[in-house]
Amino acid sequence: MSPTSSSSSSGVDRRRFLQLAGLGAAAVGGGTLLSACGGLKGSSASDADVLKIGLVTPKTGALASFATSDAFVVEQVREAMRGGLKAGGKKRTIEIVVKDTQSSPTRATEVTKQLITRDKVDLVVASGTPDTTNPVADQCEAAGVPNVTTIAPWEAWFHGRGGKSGEGFQYTTMFFFGMQQFADCFFPMWDRIGASSQEVAALWPDDTDANAFRNGLGPLMKDAGYNPVDGGKYQDGTTDFSAQINTFKRSGAELFTTTPIPPDFQTFWKQAQQQDFRPRLATVAKVMLFPAEADALGRLSNNIATDCWWSSSHPYESSIDGTSAKDLAAAFSQSTGKQWTQALGSVYSLFEIAIEAFKQADDPKDKDDVAAKLRSMSYRGMSGPLDFTKGPEPGIAIQHPVGVQWRPGKEFDWEVVVVDNTPNPDVPVGGDLEPTNA
Amino acid sequence: MDVVNALAQGLLLGGLYALFACGLSVVFGVMRIVNLAHGDLAIVAAFCAFVTLSATSLPLWLVAVVTVPVFSVVGYLTQRLLLQRSLQSGPLATLLVTFGLSVVIQNLLLELFSADTRTLDAGSFATSALEVGDVSLSYVGITGLVLAVGSIVAIQLFLSRTSSGRIMRATSDDPQTAALVGADARRVYGIASAIAFATVAMAGIVMAIRSSFDPSLGPAQLLFAFEAVVIGGLGSLWGTLLGGLALGVVQSLVAVADPSSSVLAGHLLFLLVLAFRPQGLVPARAS
Repeated sequence: MSPTSSSSSSGVDRRRFLQLAGLGAAAVGGGTLLSACGGLKGSSASDADVLKIGLVTPKTGALASFATSDAFVVEQVREAMRGGLKAGGKKRTIEIVVKDTQSSPTRATEVTKQLITRDKVDLVVASGTPDTTNPVADQCEAAGVPNVTTIAPWEAWFHGRGGKSGEGFQYTTMFFFGMQQFADCFFPMWDRIGASSQEVAALWPDDTDANAFRNGLGPLMKDAGYNPVDGGKYQDGTTDFSAQINTFKRSGAELFTTTPIPPDFQTFWKQAQQQDFRPRLATVAKVMLFPAEADALGRLSNNIATDCWWSSSHPYESSIDGTSAKDLAAAFSQSTGKQWTQALGSVYSLFEIAIEAFKQADDPKDKDDVAAKLRSMSYRGMSGPLDFTKGPEPGIAIQHPVGVQWRPGKEFDWEVVVVDNTPNPDVPVGGDLEPTNA
Repeated sequence: MDVVNALAQGLLLGGLYALFACGLSVVFGVMRIVNLAHGDLAIVAAFCAFVTLSATSLPLWLVAVVTVPVFSVVGYLTQRLLLQRSLQSGPLATLLVTFGLSVVIQNLLLELFSADTRTLDAGSFATSALEVGDVSLSYVGITGLVLAVGSIVAIQLFLSRTSSGRIMRATSDDPQTAALVGADARRVYGIASAIAFATVAMAGIVMAIRSSFDPSLGPAQLLFAFEAVVIGGLGSLWGTLLGGLALGVVQSLVAVADPSSSVLAGHLLFLLVLAFRPQGLVPARAS
């Protein structure tokens, strides 16, 4: 080493650096607390004629893409409910209070408590991964407030909260789907694509969602004659996937599935191209749900397949005012200038269900009554038919996602095209299934 | 074969870590500032390039070439207008200022650009690779490594061969004495920040091409940069390069055996170095 090579910082006091670094680490940890100080306005008027719905949403932070349509939906529902509704023999008005979780489960717990104790809401709805749905549902169950949530695999919602099989919960309900529906969605596409082997490269990190796939979808794959090639339990935020890519290439797998966090998928998919792992069909879960992700990947998004539980081409309409899925999506684009997302239909349905439960209840202010109506709900709306009595466990309504692929679109850069409707023949097919890499 | 491939990929990854870390190393070396906003600055650079790219029809390489010097000017101004004031109130104030900067940057980016994930689309450059035998060396990775080595060599030459560099070393050693003989510490610190911002802009852009970025990604980048600096040896730029490469290679090699331990192995290396060789792999010149 030349004598000058270190001169930029000779005489550095290591102890001081570490002290500073330690302080820094502590400061970074405290950051979320600091930034969590801003609350949302809440109203305190509590009137027997006002029915209050609390919406808990990850409006900011890592999960924010799940919440892009929430403000629009709230506006739509407010507009549709301007004239009030008749419930329990009286005319009532609907009030909606929105709280931001900042993508943190701790904060979700806190704002739900606020909704219950301070805003005195009659019902709480929430959406966007188990990090949102579970803490919200736990608070509602404990406080005896009716609650419905969505966009979380039902297994994570039910087992993650210690649900007793066959018994379920009293106040909390949800609609979405689980491993069986992922299998029903992915396997028909695998069957049709004409892969030369039954090996399926599976990139599953070591987190709750991916482990649910490893332990849930893995066995289902084996039952269906497919053989998962597990790339190993890597940590979220991994910056290099060469080892996994090597494993996949060596296995000769032509099918690929994954449940990563979105930034990791972007890294992996580019590296896979660089290192020449080009699966014939990629069916991914948890990522590529939203247009922003497809835009970010650019042409590498072409023909990546994923599950789709709601789209503008689903033949469903609002139970509130009859708006069709197509019109809702169009209104969203017009109002926000953004492309619709799958969450739009789900969040809309949360409010449909809330209003439906209020209407059905003898006394919409009676929380036990409303909760009982939620548990026995069976209705048809923006998300199609939802039956909370026929789910795998009580209080769960199952949706059937169809297979879609991302393709260059007419109106937007990237749009989903329904390519396989085996799980839900009501949804019209928009195009043929094509190989991700020919 | 696996090991050779892992080694090669690890070196490319390590190059990126080193590129990230060298700005941190320079700022700490000269000013004794631990810049907690370092990772966020890389994200800002990526967003700057992203916005320029969307707003103009310029090719990506040109946007990158423009962003880097612009960022170094921003660095100079940030030092003179913001950090310099806090330096006078002691190291804790500076730390808090950079931490505050980090929080402000993250939330400002979130407000401006939403939480959407983005990448810089470099077309086939991002997805193609140089084939050496059975090993695919991605062009992005090679670029990162070359930039890291290039930056560190250039900074070393600047420090050893130019009068500004000599003044910087003098100021770093003893600001008071250097000031007595006419060195303007504020200007020196400004130049150091300009250099650091230029390298972090390069790192941010390479990372944005290589994977993706969103407003909340900064702190994660900072962690690896910290580790590279400490493993390499505080105060040594060559050490930072070596530290980055060591981190990348260890992560990559361990991933072959067990993907779940890959990131952990990097942290363990960091702890081992701290425990058994606290001066780092390349210790700074004894003062």
